[in-house]
Amino acid sequence: MLSNGVDTSQNGAFAEMRWIWIDKFVEFHSGESAVAVKNVTLTEEHLHDHFPGFPVMPETLMIEAMAQTSGILVGEANRFKEKVILAKVKKCVFFDYVKPGDTLKLYAKIESLAPEAASTSGKITCGEKLIAEIDLMFSHIDQNLAGKEFPKENFVFTDTFKSLLRNLPFDDGSSGALESGQD
Amino acid sequence: MRIATMAEIMRFILIDKIVSLERGRVIKTVKNVSLAEEYLADHFPTFPVLPGVLLLEGLIESASWLVREAENFAHSMILLEEARNVKYKSFVAPGAQIEYTVEAKTIEENISSFAGFGESGGEQIVEAKFGLRHFNLADENSAMAATDAIIIENMKKRWELLR
Amino acid sequence: MAMNGSTGSPSQAKSRDRGEIFQEVQEVLVDALGVDNDEVTAEATLMGDLGAESIDFLDIVFRLEKAFGIKIPREELFPAESLMNNPEFINNGKLTEVGLAELREKIPHTDLAAFENNPDINKLGDLFTVGAIVNYIDIKLNAA
Repeated sequence: MLSNGVDTSQNGAFAEMRWIWIDKFVEFHSGESAVAVKNVTLTEEHLHDHFPGFPVMPETLMIEAMAQTSGILVGEANRFKEKVILAKVKKCVFFDYVKPGDTLKLYAKIESLAPEAASTSGKITCGEKLIAEIDLMFSHIDQNLAGKEFPKENFVFTDTFKSLLRNLPFDDGSSGALESGQD
Repeated sequence: MRIATMAEIMRFILIDKIVSLERGRVIKTVKNVSLAEEYLADHFPTFPVLPGVLLLEGLIESASWLVREAENFAHSMILLEEARNVKYKSFVAPGAQIEYTVEAKTIEENISSFAGFGESGGEQIVEAKFGLRHFNLADENSAMAATDAIIIENMKKRWELLR
Repeated sequence: MAMNGSTGSPSQAKSRDRGEIFQEVQEVLVDALGVDNDEVTAEATLMGDLGAESIDFLDIVFRLEKAFGIKIPREELFPAESLMNNPEFINNGKLTEVGLAELREKIPHTDLAAFENNPDINKLGDLFTVGAIVNYIDIKLNAA
């Protein structure tokens, strides 16, 4: 259970349904663009509710997968010092549905970056098929929500994402972990 | 392929109750947010709030029921086709309840469009404009008619639970 | 200096007349706010009439930057937030003389005469009209 100021979620007791919707990065160009991959599999519990009889990946979870791809791209551009939160879905369009056994590729690009916010564009493909186009806006909440208080530590980029960041492919062909800015 | 039954734990339903419904026009629903929702542990540790995409999912599900009821459950598949200007204005934490209100702009045979918002404790949480598409798998492949029937049957049972 | 007929890349600032600027600004606001073309008149206020909020202001700034090929510090176009949070500038729900001076300096592209008669901070939002944005872009482009 969470207790004041002490994050005990790392114990795993309540981590059954992880909130990670991408599996790994296959390209990462700092400050510019990135490509991530998501496998869709029947062992994902939520599919059985959407829909019972014919499981397909919910469109909103595809938006989340894109938000995580884009959000990490934006966060890394500031060495993860900012709390980067999805503030607006500018536009998203879905051309086809996605089933267990499909592998999605998520392409994200930073369109604009400012101290308080960022804007990204992206698309999702499955093999040759274009599945979705998704344009998002992120807010760096410490720079924006005057009067609202947030926990000091960066709760957005946490251990949950560390496994994704550990072996990022960099432009020079090497791979390794990205450094996080310390608060 | 495993077929879900009502006896199994339901995880991906983002509304708890339909509060009111005016056929083909407006629907109001509510969702309770509880620490029992596992993904809150990741979103975020020390600051659990309902993820923005699940707020949108609540709006989409609300709209979907408006469609299903209006078309007498004619279609099995109802999916998000597009959404724009989805704005997240505030956070919802465990212990709070969100009230969704979704108005239909048009509901046609295979597409529909909506404007919706969510509030909690008098505060605006989310607003969105979006469109759905509705169809049967049999439209493309007549062998899927039995699957359509299973989905529709399951959705009718879910309807009984929610209204 | 006008650069008529220049065919630079979209990211280069080009001189445009007010009519063209208005049309581009209109398109930006229609996309960013999800409103209809005919709602975006010169007198329409961003917050009151068009429903713009904090995150929309940022979205609008980004889109204007791309459309006109210029850099727009958010503070320059929409200075309200820093003014509203500073106790030096506010007294009893109204802007002080110091606050008004600060405002005048920050948004030379806006006519403040009416506001100065009753500088109620709740009415600050009314200053941000579509016309004010067009003025700002006009000044910015011609200063280049």
